[in-house]
Amino acid sequence: MLAGSLWPVLGMAQAVPATVQSPTPPTQNAAVANGAAASQLLSAQSEQAELINKLVGRLEQLEKKDAEQKQQDEAVQAAHQKEVQKLLGRIGELEGKVGALESGRVLPEIAVSPKDGPTANELDQKIRVLARNNELAAEAAEAQAAARAKETPRITAGASGFAISSADTNFVFKLRGIVQLDSRSFFNDNPYLQGNDGFYLRRARPIIEGTVFRDFDFNLTPDFGGNTVQIYDAWMNYRYQPELQLKAGKFKGPVGFENLQSDATLPFNERSLVSDFVPSRNLGIQLWGDLAGGALSYAAGIFNGSGDGRVASNSDFGDDKEVAGRLSFLPFKNSDLAAVQGLGFGAGGSYSQVSSNTAGLPSTTGGTLPGYVTSALQQFFAYNPAVGTVYADGVHWRISPYVTYTKGPFGLLGEYIVSQQAVVNSLTGARASLVDSAWQASVQWVLTGEDASFTGINPKAPFDPRAGKWGAWQFVARFAQAGLDPDTFPVYSDPSLSAESAKSWAVGLNWWLNKNVRVLTSYSRTWFDGGGNVNPAVSRTQVPPATVTHQDESVFMTRLQLAF
Amino acid sequence: MKTINIISLFVAGVAGLSAVGAVDAKDIKLLNVSYDPTRELYQDYNVAFAKFWKEKSGDTVTIQQSHGGSGKQARSVIDGLEADVVTLALAYDVDAIAEKAKLFPADWQKRLPNNSTPYTSTIVFLVRKGNPKGLKDWNDLVKPGVGIIPANPKTSGAARWVYLAAWGYVIKNGGDAAKAKDFVAKFYKNVPVLDTGARGATTTFIQREIGDVLVGWENEAFLALKEHGAGKFEIVVPSISILAEPPVTVVDKVAKKRGTEAVAKAYLEYLYSDEGQDIAGRNFYRPRSEKAAAKYAEQFAKVNLFTIDEVFGGWTKAQKIHFADGGSFDQIQR
Repeated sequence: MLAGSLWPVLGMAQAVPATVQSPTPPTQNAAVANGAAASQLLSAQSEQAELINKLVGRLEQLEKKDAEQKQQDEAVQAAHQKEVQKLLGRIGELEGKVGALESGRVLPEIAVSPKDGPTANELDQKIRVLARNNELAAEAAEAQAAARAKETPRITAGASGFAISSADTNFVFKLRGIVQLDSRSFFNDNPYLQGNDGFYLRRARPIIEGTVFRDFDFNLTPDFGGNTVQIYDAWMNYRYQPELQLKAGKFKGPVGFENLQSDATLPFNERSLVSDFVPSRNLGIQLWGDLAGGALSYAAGIFNGSGDGRVASNSDFGDDKEVAGRLSFLPFKNSDLAAVQGLGFGAGGSYSQVSSNTAGLPSTTGGTLPGYVTSALQQFFAYNPAVGTVYADGVHWRISPYVTYTKGPFGLLGEYIVSQQAVVNSLTGARASLVDSAWQASVQWVLTGEDASFTGINPKAPFDPRAGKWGAWQFVARFAQAGLDPDTFPVYSDPSLSAESAKSWAVGLNWWLNKNVRVLTSYSRTWFDGGGNVNPAVSRTQVPPATVTHQDESVFMTRLQLAF
Repeated sequence: MKTINIISLFVAGVAGLSAVGAVDAKDIKLLNVSYDPTRELYQDYNVAFAKFWKEKSGDTVTIQQSHGGSGKQARSVIDGLEADVVTLALAYDVDAIAEKAKLFPADWQKRLPNNSTPYTSTIVFLVRKGNPKGLKDWNDLVKPGVGIIPANPKTSGAARWVYLAAWGYVIKNGGDAAKAKDFVAKFYKNVPVLDTGARGATTTFIQREIGDVLVGWENEAFLALKEHGAGKFEIVVPSISILAEPPVTVVDKVAKKRGTEAVAKAYLEYLYSDEGQDIAGRNFYRPRSEKAAAKYAEQFAKVNLFTIDEVFGGWTKAQKIHFADGGSFDQIQR
């Protein structure tokens, strides 16, 4: 290929003289020109021959080198072939040894003499050491895992809500909540109270609570259930120990056993007439604690004071404060006397000096709430005399003893309250200390056998129809009565509009699907002494309490509740 | 109009309720956080003290025990384990609680006699019956092929005493620190298993049958003989060893919080009583009182003991040089 490629080069060299022509005329210097041309041709031919020789020499060199390369390649290939043969031989040898080992023969080259190897005791020790070290390593790993677990924050979810806590539980954040969808259906509708049947969102409360630095608890509970958003609870609590705690903020005051019961565990949709006479929430500071394993509980505090049945406002710049406290006993709680283990009793009370506090008295202002209301939240009494406006002015005290008893599926509650309120009629200047009272007796019976309780039922078989489980059923009944001081009428309240007393009975059947979900149904009947004089021509008689007390109240109520 | 004085009401309320809170229950619980091998000692002692306290005060006291490596136990208390009293293997661990958690004053050792160490012990060898390897003194342990079972000085109080005893053996025989370090390095080369606590080391040696010699508490060695029979093991007392002084103290802040100050203090003080000292001797701890020491004199071999102050300049220095991270023990382990 190299030689072939030279011929075009040689052809080109032969053509060169033909293309070189002299500009001299042939008639004047012909002989000279011919001699010069011949000389040039010879020179060119000589150069051409020299070039050809060089190229041929180069060609020979390349051919020689090519031959040497071929020889080297053949040598390498031969060496590879030899190595492969050697490896194949080694593989065969090893296969032979493996086969021998598999057949149980001891090869002389790997045999160890007793003198060279470890003794049985040494081997035993080595095995024991390995085993023990493994054991210790496992223990260390377990300890490390436990230590890590101690440092890992915990997330929990259950019937008591959802919680995130630090590993040592010194910091806890809990999300709880309660939603109650109620309905009221009045029988023999009062002609002056048409259109009061229907569904309503009684409570819709996200409950944010938790603990910081182990001993400081907090709670924040707004309510979106009414037409206005309101803060029900906003408090912090320092737990020095269970026996000594300090709570400050807005929360349920210590008066009224039923009032202190959780909204999520009430036997009926609404509390009884007794709770009309205690504040729903108060704002202040309270020392409290449980002694002797819960056999004795106490609470004592100073509060801004709040009207009956009302939630305290978030600010109060008045000088008048209310002191309130309670003592609760479960004397046999930790005893072996099963018959009386569930017996409890106690009393709460409050005292304040009130000066011209219109917010402290129930009135028609604000519609049906606040005020003294029936089981269906209809107001039956207000301080609304025909002449003048009534203010609280002077001493106001309450005392409310109670007794509870639970045994197995049965539970009883008896509660009484007496409240003395000094009032003044702003127009007439008339003054009086009015003594009102109320009481209730209620019974519960858990038909499915779970333990009765004032803190909720824990169904043995939470609702799961696929597994044939239907939750717990609870029968409840209650009688309650409230009586206003006869001196209230007519100077401080119009007897033709407000009732002097109300009596009520109610029965209900509650279905606890599980600890969190509940369906309540109840029927209650309330009747009144006094009031009821509705005259469409007179505007002040066209609203409660006159319209409510116009006839007995019979109502069927239901509730769907989710609380966690 | 009468304005209620908020402050006076509040103060009255607090005073009244404090009075209510002062009515304490008669059932008292104490937590004694101790080191590994004292289980039997305090089981015995707790019964005696509960009886004593019942007779003295009428109260029923129940003592709960927690045991583990001394250093580990100290860390638990620092991390929040609510001990009314600590009865640990060495003063350094108690110092650590005082320093890091500040649960009691730094001069806690002055509160009870004998630097708050109601009993002492030392480090001895427990070998298998017949002493097959002929181990008689510390220098026998570093010979090739000897399996030594101590605990880990990083976690165990007993193990720190062992380490220092081995080191002190060299020093007391005229060696310097370099020779002592070399000796201790050889010692730990012969250790096949390092348990976290003294009781674990005993388990390794006795139950798992590992090693030729258990090096640890004298009381633990006696207990092994008592429980497993003298036919299986023998105690070898070396020519020289260290005087181990396990201290005790009330954890003031916890006891105050739990309202157990008086009973916790009495609990430790009673260790110095005749009965307390007798119980210590009965459980193979060397009693401090002359009376009990005389009673149990035959039980304990006479051994040339040196103190930590004498050879190491006290626990703080010893800890820093030998057991702190990067200290001598870490160096010889590399």
